[in-house]
Amino acid sequence: MTALGTQAPPVVPRRARRRGTVTRRTLRALGIVLLAIPLLAAVVGPFLAPSTAAGGIPLQGPGSEHLLGTAVLGRDLLGLLLRGGTTVVTLTAAALLLAYLVAMPIGLVVAARGRIVETITIGLLDVLLALPSLLVLMVLAATGRRSVVWLVLAVAFVQLPHVVRLVRGAAAAPACVAALETMTMTGEPWWRVRIVETGRRVLPPTIVDATTRVSGVVGLLSSANFLGAGLDPLVVDWAVVVDQNMTALFLRPSVVLLPAGLLVALCAGTNLLVDDLLERRS
Amino acid sequence: MTTRAGVRIGIALLQLVAVSVGVFVLTTFLPGDTAEVVLGPLATVDQIDTLRAQLGLDRPVRERFLDWAGGLLHGDLGTSLATGRPVVDDMGDRLSVTVLLAVLAVVVLVPLAVALGCYGGRRPGSPADRIITATSTVAQAVPDFALGLLLVALFALQLGWLPATAAGTVGLTGLTVAMLVLPVAILVSNQLSRLARQVRIGVVETDTAEHVVHLRRLGLAERTVVLRHVLPGGVVPSVQQFARTVDGLLGGVIVVEALFALPGIGSGFVQAVQTRDLPVVQGYALLFALTTVVVNLVADLVSAKLVPQAVRL
Repeated sequence: MTALGTQAPPVVPRRARRRGTVTRRTLRALGIVLLAIPLLAAVVGPFLAPSTAAGGIPLQGPGSEHLLGTAVLGRDLLGLLLRGGTTVVTLTAAALLLAYLVAMPIGLVVAARGRIVETITIGLLDVLLALPSLLVLMVLAATGRRSVVWLVLAVAFVQLPHVVRLVRGAAAAPACVAALETMTMTGEPWWRVRIVETGRRVLPPTIVDATTRVSGVVGLLSSANFLGAGLDPLVVDWAVVVDQNMTALFLRPSVVLLPAGLLVALCAGTNLLVDDLLERRS
Repeated sequence: MTTRAGVRIGIALLQLVAVSVGVFVLTTFLPGDTAEVVLGPLATVDQIDTLRAQLGLDRPVRERFLDWAGGLLHGDLGTSLATGRPVVDDMGDRLSVTVLLAVLAVVVLVPLAVALGCYGGRRPGSPADRIITATSTVAQAVPDFALGLLLVALFALQLGWLPATAAGTVGLTGLTVAMLVLPVAILVSNQLSRLARQVRIGVVETDTAEHVVHLRRLGLAERTVVLRHVLPGGVVPSVQQFARTVDGLLGGVIVVEALFALPGIGSGFVQAVQTRDLPVVQGYALLFALTTVVVNLVADLVSAKLVPQAVRL
């Protein structure tokens, strides 16, 4: 945009920029710490967790038998915290994986097949965008479709429009096209050029995009669980625990705030690190 | 311009049709028997059959859809299974609360996003810019209900400044400003990041653009340069983003109303889902989807008006 000789002067003085770098490193460290706590709980937690069988005295304070006390149903709070992260992490990973596995080929074919296919597919996908994501999950729950499979399917489904658009955009990027034209001219079959090769080139930006969707998916899944429209109430999951213990918020806030805090740390940590990653790439 | 607007309105109408088909498919067409779910495991076969007939589930899908769509055209969304009242009446009562909440959220959100985006955008890479971006990113990432609980714990339980719930209010009666502070704060914090970021990018671009640099060289007051030239450049591309925040705002309304027991359409929807009140669920789903379609339409028309080449039709 800027013509020769009219280059804008740097807006920020050098010292401020250096202070900016320090702030950035601090934020990155904060992100790592915030993400590590819930992630460790989710991965290692279940192996260390005490039993979460119901039947103890509800809402007990911390003591020798229950280190963090008990929740509404008399279940051990520490056990709930250590076991409740596995569902969030696994379901998020499963839903994202499914969404990208389906959307990648659609995006690539759409990009390869010209204007008409493109207009129709994107138009259809845009209709999906008109339905707020949480609404889709809740409508499914209202009609009795609330197993893990439905949950993963629905969450993956509402990601589709965004991901297809992204893959299509990346596949049409000029650098990508120029290299592939050469391949086409040497007589490679179209699927090899347009699907396999383009796919390989599109993969890095797609993986970056997937990381930006993590906290959104965690938020969607946990909101559905919190509203009683996600997992079965018997499943041990941070958001389900929050929902079940809402009535105890005034009596023993820790029962609600600790699982909610772990979810907050998971989402906040992910986003701080993703932001850092995006900035390093640009 | 007029033809373009016409085409865009046509697309919106098609979207409306597609969305109502989508809602119908979601609620009745997917595998699983709704009547059994509504009545629960203790229902007798007779009860299930009666409800199935009442919901029209014993008739062919095509006939059912035409019936439902016909009702829609007359503004008839059926009657609630729980209260026996027409769904439309139920919605009308609750709409005022949600509209109030949404308007307040937008009134706080837009100036705040523009101010923060503009401040950060004029100092890209500085500590202030990074902290603004990081804070709003974190606020956006955190699930509404979790953030809500933390705020309730702090401001209602610990400090006692604000009420923790709006339970007991009906419509707008009994609702106080204090009750709305936390819900609006949560809605805003969740949407602030994307909008502020978009404004920031626009401001960064315009602030270093040739014509603005030239205006500075001419000796125009910095204030005039920023307010007259930099700011508009940052705000125009954000109109589209503003429309996209509506999806988030609607999702947020569902959670926030449920959390604070605000009697709006969000909590109405959650209640209907929990009591399996199918006609009400359908009605609300349609209302939410319709809002998104209309807001997107308006955003497209507005940004086409502001920058005619911005919209690809």
